[in-house]
Amino acid sequence: MKDMMKITLSLVLIFIAAALIMGVTYKYTSPVRFLAEKKEKEEALKEMAPDATDPINPTGTWRSSHGKPYEYYLATAGGKPVAYISSTAGKGYSSFIAMLVSLDTDLKVRDVKILHHGETPGLGDQIEGKSFIGQFTGKALSQLILLKTETTENIQAISGATISSRAVTNGVKDAVQTLVDTYGAGVKSAAQGVAK
Amino acid sequence: MSNVNYGTIIKNGIFGENPVFRLALSLCPAVAVTSGVKNGLLMGVAVLFVMTMVNATVSLLRNFINPKVRIPSYMFIIATWVTVTDLIMAAYSREVYKQMGLYIMLIVAFAIVLSRAEMFASKNKLLPSIVDGAAMGMGFLLALVLLGIFREFLGKGSLWGVQLLPGKPLLIMIMPTGGFFAMGLIMGWLNWIDRKFFGGTGGGGGAH
Repeated sequence: MKDMMKITLSLVLIFIAAALIMGVTYKYTSPVRFLAEKKEKEEALKEMAPDATDPINPTGTWRSSHGKPYEYYLATAGGKPVAYISSTAGKGYSSFIAMLVSLDTDLKVRDVKILHHGETPGLGDQIEGKSFIGQFTGKALSQLILLKTETTENIQAISGATISSRAVTNGVKDAVQTLVDTYGAGVKSAAQGVAK
Repeated sequence: MSNVNYGTIIKNGIFGENPVFRLALSLCPAVAVTSGVKNGLLMGVAVLFVMTMVNATVSLLRNFINPKVRIPSYMFIIATWVTVTDLIMAAYSREVYKQMGLYIMLIVAFAIVLSRAEMFASKNKLLPSIVDGAAMGMGFLLALVLLGIFREFLGKGSLWGVQLLPGKPLLIMIMPTGGFFAMGLIMGWLNWIDRKFFGGTGGGGGAH
């Protein structure tokens, strides 16, 4: 019985000391980490819409087909919209590929940026290459189809990394669909207004 | 252990009982992170820090820790220092953390950390324990860097992210399969050197 008390006491003391060390470290590092993460996110958004002069704030959230929530943003310059941005992700070969997608005001893709992924090095990680990700620029929603043959009209898959390519395409498509559904009506009526 | 030979401890950690190539411990992280030199080095630095701190703590507490619950105590000490490393990295070296964040927490389960706490730090004074932890960590770091150089050069044709060869000579080397190939080849090569030039018996796995 006495032995048991001693064992328990020694374990409890170690646990308390460890908890204190971790707690103090957390207290001093978490504000630094929080600020750094916030800054990184702002910088990534800024890169998606360099011409936006106002701070980019989330305007809403949506849920993708795999059930995860994402945010979308309206980038404005002097109160006028210049780009629509959304975070999104696609389910790749070995990871979720997290991305940011920005649309021009004519609802065509302006830029796609891959934030992080865990695809196979040497194969799947080619999705980050300009020759693949650059294909999205200027495409409309209906053009976002992945083909295994040579194409400039649609998106051409990377040979050997079809699953990763499809994941990116689907993720971008989800985001574009959401942005078109959200902002499309406004853009259409504005265009009609000009036509009249 | 009144007169401790620090030279022997250091040599032991880096060569004689190199965690990866001699003791064959912690092979799975060694394969997982060494697809590039940079990742290998960063992981090595994190392990070096954790091992030194764990050995120091275990050595200081060696008369306080009840032998019946020593393993849970060691595990908790290891987990504490790994968490501290993780928190500090997340706050102060964001670039590194983005690449390594996933693996840092796994250091808790590295056999080499627990085995040094049990086999060395729990029986020795503070200073030799710190030296042993640092030497073993250094041995691990060097092994990861060696593996990283081998795999990145053959697999991607680059070193430290700088492209040296026009193509990718042997893509399989950066896949997990290639990791085991690389490990086996280097281990065999080191054993050959040991036999040929130092009259040793070689090692690996069963040596301990």
